Amino acid sequence: MSDAHEHHHDGHHHPRPASEVELRARALEALLAERGLVSTDAIDAVVELYEHDVGPQNGAQVVAGAWVDDAYRERLLSRPNEAIAELGFGGAEGDNMVVVANTADVHNVIVCTLCSCYPWPVLGLPPSWYKSSPYRARVVAEPRAVLREFGLELRDDVEIRVWDSSGEVRYLVLPMRPAGTDGYGEDELAAIVTRNSMIGTAVPVAGEAAVA
Amino acid sequence: MSATRTGLAIVDAAVGAAAPLPRDNGELVFEEPWQGRALGMGVVSLERAGASWEDFRRHLVAAIAARSPRDGESAATAYYAAWLDALEALLAERGLLRSAG
Repeated sequence: MSDAHEHHHDGHHHPRPASEVELRARALEALLAERGLVSTDAIDAVVELYEHDVGPQNGAQVVAGAWVDDAYRERLLSRPNEAIAELGFGGAEGDNMVVVANTADVHNVIVCTLCSCYPWPVLGLPPSWYKSSPYRARVVAEPRAVLREFGLELRDDVEIRVWDSSGEVRYLVLPMRPAGTDGYGEDELAAIVTRNSMIGTAVPVAGEAAVA
Repeated sequence: MSATRTGLAIVDAAVGAAAPLPRDNGELVFEEPWQGRALGMGVVSLERAGASWEDFRRHLVAAIAARSPRDGESAATAYYAAWLDALEALLAERGLLRSAG
């Protein structure tokens, strides 16, 4: 993925008038506006919304689904792409998902050491710290210390597994269902599944609503 | 959100894997403002015209297949050019682009 972030900064494109397709776009917008089918404001609002409309809610539903339904959990772990698609999530880049489940003895955490590959169809856009060099380097070298900085204190005998994402494989952590959630419905459960708990830098806590 | 009833997830699901929106690690790629406006135009006009995303996808897939790539054209430019073709075709099919009178 890192190559995709390379841009050409060495020299200008020739200044040019609006391209043919750009003129077409403008003409169509003017026509649709005349027909009352669009307005500049409505289009602006959609673009604005879409540029920010990504969050971890999809992943939270996947996790809650796995908590309430053992069969779904099994499908999620064995055939993650299909299981995630069952809930209507997925995308070209979300192919080759791998779901890693936390247990009493194993805690999983994800990183992309090369750049910022991230399971965006389920988690939305990565937080800035996920893309930062310190996190990318340190979570591999000293995961326990990094998790402690996130406020996550794990028992010494809990094994920490760090999963390095790539353009080909993206990981999602399936956290353990916290104690004290027996009476929760699926939506209530999804509401406590935080983004960080699906990255592995936190664990869900009963009664603590996720903040996107 | 009052801007639209159509969330991005709905658009993603509608265009499907056959014609996914151009992205870079999850973020929508708009190389030039007209590309974002093309997307917004589609969402708003389909909603207001009561047209279905399934019809739009059919037109989009056809438009992508029918379009021959131009020299030096980026993937996002090609995609949103096809998007405009599809939107025009769909609205024309519903008689919404005919000149008044």
